[in-house]
Amino acid sequence: MSDFAISRRGVLAGSTFLLASTALPAALRAQTPTNGGRLIAAADSEPRNLNPAIIASNGVFFVASKIVEPLAEASFTGKDGLEPRLATSWEGSADGLTVTFKLREGVTWHDGKPFTSADVAFSALQVWKPLQNLGRVVFKDLEAVDTPDDHTAIFRFARPTPFQLIRNALPALTSVVPKHLYEVSEIADNPANTAPVGTGPFKFAEHRPGEYYRLEKYDAYWGEDQPRLDEIIYRVLPDRAAAAGALEAEEIHLAAFSAVPLADLERISKVPGIGVISKGYETLTYQLVVEINHRRKELADRKVRQAIAHAIDKEFVVKTIFLGYATASTGPVPRNDVQFYSSDVPTYAFDVAKANALLDEAGYKRGEGGTRFALKLLPAPYFNETKQFGDYLRQALAEIGIDAELVNNDAAAHQKAVYTDHTFDLAIAPPVFRGDPAISTTILVQSGIPDGVPFSNQGGYANPELDALIAKAAETLDPDQRIALYVDFQKMVAEDLPLINVAEWGFITVARSSVKEVSNNPRWAVSNWADTWIEG
Amino acid sequence: MIALRRFLRTPEAVAGALILAALLAMALSAPWFFPRDPQSIAGPALLRPFQDWTLPLGTDRLGRDVMAGLFHGARASLAVGLAAAAGAILIGAVVGTLAGFAGGLLDEILMRITDAFQTVPGFLLALAFVSVAGPSLATVIVAITLGAWTGPARIARAEVLSIRERDYVAGARVIGMHPLEIAFREILPNALPPVLALSSVIVAAAILTEAALSFLGLGDPNRVTWGGMIAEGRAVLRSAPYLSIIPGVALVLTVLGVYLAGEGLVETSATRRMNA
Amino acid sequence: MNRALRLIRRRLIGSIAVLLIVITGTFLLLEAAPGDAVDAYVVSVGGDASMIEELRRRWGLDQSAATRFAVYISSLARLDLGHSVAFSRPNLDVILERLPDTLLLMGSATALSFCLGTFLGIVAGSRPGSFRDRFLSIGSLALYAVPGFWLGLVLIVIFSVQLRWLQLGGIETIASGKTGAPRALDIARHLVLPVASLGFIYLALYLRMMRVGMAEVWRMDFVLAARARGIGRRRIVLRHVARNALLPLVTMLGLQSAAMLGGSVVIESVFSVPGLGRLAQEAVAARDTPLLLGIILVSAVLVIAVNLAVDLLYAGLDPRVGSSGEAA
Repeated sequence: MSDFAISRRGVLAGSTFLLASTALPAALRAQTPTNGGRLIAAADSEPRNLNPAIIASNGVFFVASKIVEPLAEASFTGKDGLEPRLATSWEGSADGLTVTFKLREGVTWHDGKPFTSADVAFSALQVWKPLQNLGRVVFKDLEAVDTPDDHTAIFRFARPTPFQLIRNALPALTSVVPKHLYEVSEIADNPANTAPVGTGPFKFAEHRPGEYYRLEKYDAYWGEDQPRLDEIIYRVLPDRAAAAGALEAEEIHLAAFSAVPLADLERISKVPGIGVISKGYETLTYQLVVEINHRRKELADRKVRQAIAHAIDKEFVVKTIFLGYATASTGPVPRNDVQFYSSDVPTYAFDVAKANALLDEAGYKRGEGGTRFALKLLPAPYFNETKQFGDYLRQALAEIGIDAELVNNDAAAHQKAVYTDHTFDLAIAPPVFRGDPAISTTILVQSGIPDGVPFSNQGGYANPELDALIAKAAETLDPDQRIALYVDFQKMVAEDLPLINVAEWGFITVARSSVKEVSNNPRWAVSNWADTWIEG
Repeated sequence: MIALRRFLRTPEAVAGALILAALLAMALSAPWFFPRDPQSIAGPALLRPFQDWTLPLGTDRLGRDVMAGLFHGARASLAVGLAAAAGAILIGAVVGTLAGFAGGLLDEILMRITDAFQTVPGFLLALAFVSVAGPSLATVIVAITLGAWTGPARIARAEVLSIRERDYVAGARVIGMHPLEIAFREILPNALPPVLALSSVIVAAAILTEAALSFLGLGDPNRVTWGGMIAEGRAVLRSAPYLSIIPGVALVLTVLGVYLAGEGLVETSATRRMNA
Repeated sequence: MNRALRLIRRRLIGSIAVLLIVITGTFLLLEAAPGDAVDAYVVSVGGDASMIEELRRRWGLDQSAATRFAVYISSLARLDLGHSVAFSRPNLDVILERLPDTLLLMGSATALSFCLGTFLGIVAGSRPGSFRDRFLSIGSLALYAVPGFWLGLVLIVIFSVQLRWLQLGGIETIASGKTGAPRALDIARHLVLPVASLGFIYLALYLRMMRVGMAEVWRMDFVLAARARGIGRRRIVLRHVARNALLPLVTMLGLQSAAMLGGSVVIESVFSVPGLGRLAQEAVAARDTPLLLGIILVSAVLVIAVNLAVDLLYAGLDPRVGSSGEAA
């Protein structure tokens, strides 16, 4: 736990300014919110399809979550870490076959039509289950949705499905789209995918490709005195260096998802009127993972994998690459997950001598020039940090006699090389932990996944024991038993190392201090910003 | 000798030559002064220049030695510049000679292909090529060559057209030399000087293009290049400007040196020809 | 006039061949790329095997490359640029939306480098070898040696962040609702820095060409004669020397149009200008073959048109250029 404490302190030190503005808000909250104004946020990517019911990814949510709402949102204080949105209550049956949602009354779509249980049934059966990237897994056994009245939806599952899993999936997987617009034409080509219509606090106004998205206040929003803002604009700034300058020049108010490079945070935190905030990403933890191709003879040897784990100085990674804005990992579940995390796993201290000994033991002696064997290392191109870790890992491997050649690909080529063609030995991936191991984590080590599925086990790793454990946990209904199974899961993964978890990080928001109610829930950047306001 | 004296009399050319000599010395001595991998971590991260005399120019984000990067980067920049220029001139000379000498349909086809390459913006072509082929030093060189050979091809063709009808070519024909032999043994050597005059421009452009590609994240990750160093330093442009200024100055000086020396050479040879 | 028409006709016929080569080359290049449009799409959204297969079918990527190429060419023959997979809109619409910004940027940068370069070239070339000649030509070379993106980044820090005189990116103030003259002014303010970054690089080219050209003209008989007649230096410079040295620069203008378009890729990305260069980058990243083909095609047509215009201008300026004189 010690390095955890250190890095947390680092995070806090980096955000002292913020402590004055949001983390200690008691004094400031007395300030009465003002209504109106335009918030301008930086966007570094430009998703064309803005339907979060089909594409449950943070790039889409960042814009679309203000327009289309889920049944419930993540919360720091609510029961089970949730607070109601379109559903006001949710309850699972003891046999795990039904979940009953009570829906909010008096909610209207942006085109004025009323929101009813038919919309929820349609979204669940026609969109989340067959079309959504994450929903296909979680809702695979959903058979029917009964709608006894306009404000009740009862989900019926063919096989027992843990209510805990459904609950944990509510914020990210249950964006509700209007049935009356989607039933008239094919869902995948529906115009509402690019100009979404929802029940959220803001309506979609326009998208100027390459320039901005504009959202306008929805006057008939159900939240009392919400939204506060008149307008949200996402300004497209593809250049990473641009966001910091734009904040300083007061051309934008807010840059989320670490759009300001970590290395620039210390400097910008000293600029008057700008705050650096590390809160608000607790349920979207990204994990820095070394993916391993077990088809490679050397890497199929557990000793070699352990040697690689010992060769990585996690503290260096956290301090130098993430500048303290990350935590060293112990296993496949991040430490900040209060439900599932277990520290009772085998750990791999940074120990080059031990790593070398393990490799000698495995029979890979140093050859000429001190090299044991060579391999190809493919860092994912999506983040600066994954690429930098690639540079570091190459050096770390050189220390133990493994000659790694870096191969930088763009996103499409990386996807093809790692997840379809498997032409890699080691890869560096940033998978997301979404509050429950069954949503997007077990798939990283489970066997039998078809080629081409991104962020899944494409390293040819197959462990029947682990597969059985994953299958059992997927149908265990009792929450405590389920947690116990996932504790075993963490132990088994850390022991056998199908992949190596190096670090986990949340992102950083940099905002002008005139923006209030920032980062007030654990997935704030992708929540609805209904209570956010701007001073003056 | 006269030419050398004339060259030495132009201060710009001398300055250019000195810069290039220094660059060459850096590139050649890099493995001797800095035998370790320049990408290995040598000290604490973001050490400022002139703090620690074992790391005179400081370290970057990961603690890599900037001085070692500068020396090894000189190798990469020179390699890219020279290889791309050599490739472009070779392809250009061959295509231009063939087109000019053969004439007719072959000329038409080759010149349309040249047109096509000239019509597509060179940088766009390089960008697409490297994205597709994956960034490595070799693909970067090929990508730059693809956009640079058209100039030499046109000039070579124009020269060949004017040489083709001269007496000694007619003579070679009479003694029954194979047309290809005539083209490449009699005509090409005489057409080459004006083509070579382009080389400094191509070398300089190649070094700049490599930097721009690296800036967009399309440099070879296994090698230190100045462009890559600038791109790395960009994230800390404001808090650690030295990280992008040092390789940036090296880049500007190199390009300037190549130009000045090249221009000096062209001018000297031009005056020599005029005097002869 | 007749000569001009012949020139245009010849050029058009040649252009079709050139365009065909360009299209085939681009198509082959993207065909050789690892990963297709579906791979690029799946990276950002995730998905499983059946969805991936469905997408390939829907986007026609399950057909052979030859079939897709044939389909593309035949639709092109009907002047249909096809449909972008990444934008799910017609390519022509996507391209035309971005074209004006790029034209504005390139046009202004070309005008800047041409006018300023020519002017400074005259200043430098009117007294070859003087101090100001050396200063100008080395100074402009130094600018030419500075990578454009680096110049852009430094200008942003100085003028947008520190001094706050100018906007740091974009083409106009977002959703400002301005129209007419205020809007034009707004766009002009946004364009100052990107145009400067792009234009200053090419300044040296025109300056040095002008200077070299003037040095040559100085030695020509008619100038010597004019000097012998005792005509004032300034008058000789402007009326005789500069005028004759200007001709090759006009040709350069055409040749540089392709290079400018390439240079604007980086500048557009540094300054967040939503232009064609950035679109091309996005198209490559998304493996959107039809879109990239469309962009390359449009820019090729642009380059060909500029060159034709330059040739016509040249033919007008210099009567020696006939239809046979432009063999290459």
